[in-house]
Amino acid sequence: MKNESTVIDVPAESSSAMKGSAPLIGVARDHTTNGSGGYKRGLSIFDFLLRLAAIIAASVAAGTMFTSDETLPFFTQFLQFEAGYDDLPTFQFFVIAMSMISGYLLLSLPFSVVTIVRPLATAPRLLLLVLDTAAMAFNMAAASSAAAIGYLAHNGNQNTNWLPICQQFGDFCQKTSGAVVSSFVSVVFFIILVVLSGVALKRH
Amino acid sequence: MAKESTTIDIGEPSTVTKSTSHAVVDEKKKSFVTAAAGGGYKRGLTIFDFLLRLAAIGITIGASSVMFTAEETLPFFTQFLQFQAGYDDFPTFQFFVIAIAIVASYLVLSLPFSIVTIVRPLAVAPRLILLISDTVVLTLTTAAAAAAASIVYLAHNGNANTNWLPICQQFGDFCQTASTAVVAASISVVFFILLIVISAISLKRH
Repeated sequence: MKNESTVIDVPAESSSAMKGSAPLIGVARDHTTNGSGGYKRGLSIFDFLLRLAAIIAASVAAGTMFTSDETLPFFTQFLQFEAGYDDLPTFQFFVIAMSMISGYLLLSLPFSVVTIVRPLATAPRLLLLVLDTAAMAFNMAAASSAAAIGYLAHNGNQNTNWLPICQQFGDFCQKTSGAVVSSFVSVVFFIILVVLSGVALKRH
Repeated sequence: MAKESTTIDIGEPSTVTKSTSHAVVDEKKKSFVTAAAGGGYKRGLTIFDFLLRLAAIGITIGASSVMFTAEETLPFFTQFLQFQAGYDDFPTFQFFVIAIAIVASYLVLSLPFSIVTIVRPLAVAPRLILLISDTVVLTLTTAAAAAAASIVYLAHNGNANTNWLPICQQFGDFCQTASTAVVAASISVVFFILLIVISAISLKRH
């Protein structure tokens, strides 16, 4: 085996200007530091807990709207004496949409667990971010349209001669308003989830 | 100056090719070997992001102004209904005009950030700012579009159970204009979702 040898001259005095710069042969990014994985795991755990809270908010919204029936004990000449969520197509859309949102959140829990177990994987996070954005828009659409109808039911509209029905159906109006508020809470949770996924995707 | 010297024995070079890249060090600067694979397609994505923003500005300004000018005056007099209809007869439409106008001005203000991400494709902070603010503005746009859509639906169909009459049968032009504005706002919602997805893909590590 032939040995090669080389001579390297090392100056005895090294100038102070050279200090602090290290020769680089190749930079390997250290992806295994605990710090990077640690805080991302914390973000994933917070994400999982937020999903659980959003499931509760969305299912409460759907359930409250679904059971918001009211029957008046007396008979009025012009108005129906029963009110339920299926009398207004917007509220029907609300119930269906919030149920779908709750189902989506339940199905996304395993992906959230995957991001806890593997904090540095980007594919599950990206998938969750995209789906969460779409679900948030859907949720906001349902909440906002139901809120507009609820506002109309409370106040009516003089210009179009639409009478406020809440004066007769107080309980119905209260329950639907509560459902809409719960749905807005779920939207806030979704916003935080999307921002969390974006921050956790960030490179270093 | 006394020089020391040392001898280093290098064994026979192995036949396995080494895949390290060598960086030359001068006294003045360091050079880093970075993974430059991500630069190309990210710049394409950010240019697409910028163009989407321009399109969204056009659509949101269009939606807001179309709703603002959606007036109709009937030539005849009806006993129960008002013979004029405008966007300010409906609080929801007032909210729509104001909210979409705010969204349009946000988009104009976010154009510089988008340009920064084009010029510096590997910078993280502008993209994160754009992602967070796009999410908030998406919520506002969806709220405005959905609320206006529910009122437009009601105006078209009425509601037999609550005795709300459909006004579109008298005010056809007003209803059409309002519907157009709502459709334009919904298209801008789709654009915002695309913008958020682009920001997320660009943030992704390699």
